[in-house]
Amino acid sequence: MIVAGCDVGALTAKAVVMKEHTLLGSELIRSRAQSVQSATQVMTLLLNKLRLSFDDIDYCVSTGYGRVMVPFADENVSEISCHGRGAKWLVPTIKTIIDVGGQDIKAIYVDAKGFVKDFRMSTKCAAGTGRALELMAESLGVKVDEVGPLSLNASDPVIFQQPCCILTEIEIRHEVFKGRDSADIAAGINDYIARRILNMARNLGIRKDVGMTGGIAKNMGVVKCIERALGIDLVEFPEDPQLIGAIGAAVFAADKAAKLTQ
Amino acid sequence: MKYGKGWRDRIYAGCDLGIVSAKVAIIDNGNVLALEVLPYKGHPGRAAFEVMERALAKAGLYREQIEYCVATGFGKKAVPHADEVLGDLICHHRAVREINAHVRTVIDVGGQSFAAFNIANNGLVSETAVTDKCAAGTGRFIEIMADVLEIPVEEMGRPSFVSANPAAITSQCVILAESEVISLINDGYNRFDICAGVAASVSGRIVSLVRRVDVNEEVAFIGGVAKNALVVRDLERKLGLKFANLAGIDPQVVGALGAALVARDERRGSK
Repeated sequence: MIVAGCDVGALTAKAVVMKEHTLLGSELIRSRAQSVQSATQVMTLLLNKLRLSFDDIDYCVSTGYGRVMVPFADENVSEISCHGRGAKWLVPTIKTIIDVGGQDIKAIYVDAKGFVKDFRMSTKCAAGTGRALELMAESLGVKVDEVGPLSLNASDPVIFQQPCCILTEIEIRHEVFKGRDSADIAAGINDYIARRILNMARNLGIRKDVGMTGGIAKNMGVVKCIERALGIDLVEFPEDPQLIGAIGAAVFAADKAAKLTQ
Repeated sequence: MKYGKGWRDRIYAGCDLGIVSAKVAIIDNGNVLALEVLPYKGHPGRAAFEVMERALAKAGLYREQIEYCVATGFGKKAVPHADEVLGDLICHHRAVREINAHVRTVIDVGGQSFAAFNIANNGLVSETAVTDKCAAGTGRFIEIMADVLEIPVEEMGRPSFVSANPAAITSQCVILAESEVISLINDGYNRFDICAGVAASVSGRIVSLVRRVDVNEEVAFIGGVAKNALVVRDLERKLGLKFANLAGIDPQVVGALGAALVARDERRGSK
């Protein structure tokens, strides 16, 4: 039986295909609010890569910001449930998931089966999210995936005090003009992002094991800051942390497909 | 002190180096000789230098003729050739007093800043409110939305943009609103409706901040955002008043003009 998960986020669209509890493949593209087109495009790319067609998919669950817009989905499930489920499926010992997406921060507490018991989510302010990191990287003049590696060479990280990432953006630009070492600025950005994320996570409470999902989890600098602040190591996922929502959606799809064939 | 030169010949300058634009005012004893605004993305100090050169060229003067120069604004310490640096409030207050003595409330909304203060009947500042916690409602908010709409930021506030159906933008956060605007464009809203929605969001945020001081008439609205006619119109409606006449002075250069006036005061006072 072949199932699929499609996660249409605020900045990227992700698709995975699973067969009998094994991942066959995944795909990720950038999207901005064009949910229908992005979902169709990412799934088509993946199916072509796997030499499959839409008809081969027995069940598809969509999730993410644009989940209701996915035309080929049989069902949609909230991204909170999907991140919980996907993380638990990959790492069975996990209890707390910190998901940082393009536009929001979520802290999720899951039970032994991977279902959501409690969560916190940012709604009013996007400081600390993927888009914030993107804008800050732009101000520093580097690509978003370079901020993490760059920060590891820092000797004297900048401390950004402003809570708003847009105001911090200007502070970054001024540090650049002052000739401050870009590694120190990058480390400052990561420290800033980590502090925003920790506010949310601490509000929910931290129960081990803890894992981080979403695009920001690919930034080693942010992960290191969070590990240092919490005094624990975060779990390492065997898959790209940005795909975990889509994987969770596929796990839900597998459940549903199994029920339907019984 | 220089001798052999009448004070009439003396030239004073004010430079307001903001976060996204540099402003200069050059005055003599009784006249405004040049006002210049330069939006910048590069080095702040260089922008301050260039805007001064442009203003001097406009007035037909050269740098050595400047008797005294006061710098203000976010980047005041980066202004080359400044004789003194001063806070925004002093400069805004000084300029507003000079332009229109009836003003009792000043609202300043710049590229990334918000401030409001009251002026008592004796002319002194009586109440102030400043925020630097969030970029909602500032010029940067409008700028980011202009980027998304792919139109110049000046176009965002065209007085001719009349919308019968302003788009609702519910998020205050710049980043969340940015994605709302992207969705609005994809949903087929036209730019008139979106610009009206952006103006309504900005003015709504300004109103909630202005309430921290007393809104006593007359009210002067200054700073770069005051050049956005849609925000001005919406704000006047929400506050139920008409903004004070600034004698045709560009609201964005009020800070620079104030700095130049203070420069003149100091030189005259020290004579």
